[in-house]
Amino acid sequence: MSLEGRRVLIVEDEAIIAMTAEDMLEQIGFTVAGVAASFAEAMAAVERGGFDVALLDINLNGVASHPVAERLQEIGKPFVFATGYGSAGRGGEYENVPLVTKPYRIAALEAAIKLALGQSG
Amino acid sequence: MPELRSFLSGGGDTAELIRAHDWASTPLGDIGSWPQSLRSALSICLRSATPSAIFWGADHLFLYNDAWASMLADRHPSSLGMPARKVLSDIWQTLQPQFRTVVDKAEAVNRVDTLLVRNLGGATFDSYWSYSMLPVASEDGTIGGVLAQARNTTERIMRGRRDALMLRLSDRLRLISDEDELLAAAVEMVGEEMDVGRIGYAEANEERGVISILRCAVRHGMSDSSGEFPIPKFGDSINDDLHAGRVIRIEDKAKDKRLADPGVRWRYDAMGVESALVVPVVSGARCQAMLFAHHNETRAWTAHEEALLRQATEQIWRELSRARAETALRGSEQRYRRIFEQAHDLILTADLDQIITDINPAVAAAIEAPREEIIGRSIREFVSERGFEQTTRMLREKVEQGGTTHHGLDVVARSGRVMHWEVNSTLTRDKDGRPIGLHAIARDVTERRRAEERQRLLVNELNHRVKNTLALVQGLALQSFKQGRDLDEARAAFQDRLAALAAAHDMLTRENWEGATLAQLAQEAVGHHNAREERIMIEGPDLVLSPKAAVSLVMALHELGTNAAKYGALSAPSGRVTLGWRVADGERLRLEWRERGGPAVTAPGQRGFGFRMIERALASDLAGSARIAFEPEGLVCGIDAPLAEAAPRAAA
Repeated sequence: MSLEGRRVLIVEDEAIIAMTAEDMLEQIGFTVAGVAASFAEAMAAVERGGFDVALLDINLNGVASHPVAERLQEIGKPFVFATGYGSAGRGGEYENVPLVTKPYRIAALEAAIKLALGQSG
Repeated sequence: MPELRSFLSGGGDTAELIRAHDWASTPLGDIGSWPQSLRSALSICLRSATPSAIFWGADHLFLYNDAWASMLADRHPSSLGMPARKVLSDIWQTLQPQFRTVVDKAEAVNRVDTLLVRNLGGATFDSYWSYSMLPVASEDGTIGGVLAQARNTTERIMRGRRDALMLRLSDRLRLISDEDELLAAAVEMVGEEMDVGRIGYAEANEERGVISILRCAVRHGMSDSSGEFPIPKFGDSINDDLHAGRVIRIEDKAKDKRLADPGVRWRYDAMGVESALVVPVVSGARCQAMLFAHHNETRAWTAHEEALLRQATEQIWRELSRARAETALRGSEQRYRRIFEQAHDLILTADLDQIITDINPAVAAAIEAPREEIIGRSIREFVSERGFEQTTRMLREKVEQGGTTHHGLDVVARSGRVMHWEVNSTLTRDKDGRPIGLHAIARDVTERRRAEERQRLLVNELNHRVKNTLALVQGLALQSFKQGRDLDEARAAFQDRLAALAAAHDMLTRENWEGATLAQLAQEAVGHHNAREERIMIEGPDLVLSPKAAVSLVMALHELGTNAAKYGALSAPSGRVTLGWRVADGERLRLEWRERGGPAVTAPGQRGFGFRMIERALASDLAGSARIAFEPEGLVCGIDAPLAEAAPRAAA
């Protein structure tokens, strides 16, 4: 599967971490479609589209991002959860969603996104 | 002489004595000359099992059978043939008219349980008799004598009296629970029945060697002798009797050898005692108590009196023990009541239908309703539906299996506030072991649970922040050590950024993570550039920034300061920076970093991490926009953010 040019939406409230993710994704060969720093921005970005896969922080400024995940599932966009909470906190219904923990490792990030894209076919 | 033989024959020992008696010298004359009427009557008399006697002739000479002889005791056989007025001298006054009635009027006299006050051997005593006196006609038709049959009913009468007294004592004493009152009533009742100078109840303490007279009832001028007396003063043999539980009987103090010792007798003298009857109570091989009768005259204590005192003693001891047990129980009930009232724990009792029967004040306070509005109501009213199912199940479990149940229960206060109680409950049972209700002790663990939940959240949050901070550090490292940069320079940049991040955290920790003022933040981030002279003018109103905004702003200002020192206004001696902010339209924060007097400004070809971070981080963390412009006089960074995001307290 070619990753070249696949567009990734980053949903992350911490700018520096978002920038890190941006750099890493670009290094892997993805294109960063955009960065959403809050829940509202994330919902808007999902509706706007223009991305192939999302990297979704579970916690956005203290707000759970599950509705964003729900919306992504509804429109059939694959996504990867990102969290600082260890592997807990994903919630039962998202058991099969790939998860990357912060701080990111570039290999883990690549594997998770590949997995998400693979699952979506 | 077969005739003579026949009328005395079969008449027992007394008949033989009659045969051997010298009657010739008496008014009755030789036995051979006795008229047939006397012989016949005597013959009947001697063969009777009932105490029977013949009083014959003008002097009512006394002839009797074996049964009567045994009543006479030591006055037999000396009474044989004596005139009635002599052998019955103590009661002759009563009997003489009755003899007259029989003899003169030929009428029978019958008496049932009649009192005859006897005086025999110097002792006066009451005796009760049922008797009949029948006229016996002589050959000439006149009344020659009296056939008497008598039965001493004293014992039966006295037993009846004792029974009656015991019944009265029992009726009275069992209603009294006060010890003093009980003893007062008891000695008064016994004293009245016995008609003695003093009846008293005393307790013995052999260890302490004292007898305490707790209560006395006095009459006949005797004094109350309540108080404490040393045991040895009562004499050794008396002590032995007390210890062994033997009744002590003193009929005449003057003649009693046990009281011969003047040191012993003195005590009796002092109490005005001439005679005494003492019944000890022995329990656990010790004399515990005694009921005593004292009298100020010599007194031959009757068997009835002794029996009465014994029975009374037993009853008083029993009732006193009961009263004391009740008092102790009341005392312990009061103690438990106090514990119940004062306990912080929640204590509740209910019947088997789960109707609340009692609660302590802690429960009333927790439920937020007065006690009387809770008692009588079902537990159901104060717990959730699921909670009631649970208590019902627990109750069934206890009834079936016994034991204590321990469970958590959601309890709802009157205000609707939900508490979580940890409940221990057990069945209460009647004396036959049948369950009659339940009692529960509970503790409100709502606060503890909340604290535990808070703790859990805090630990999670801490973990999150640590991971986030590590991710931040990772970002700083990656950006600082971008390929192509000079390693020393990159290392220095990284260290500075870490230091700025640490400083921001320090400040927030000092402020309890509730935010920090913008002035504080600015000072923290760029204050070091003002170490020698004021090159950065910091100016603006007091605003407390949220933690996230604070960290972001410190990092941004740090980058601006570092850039200015390297390439901008602070790299030239005359360069200056103004850092100012204000609140616009009451809801927006406007902040500006403006450099001037530095070297000629050129926009960098590729924007470094610093500027990227400023624009991005501020934009996202403050939910606003940051714009960097390279104006000819110097770099200008403008930040515009809603106050609600950056400084929520100022906005509110």
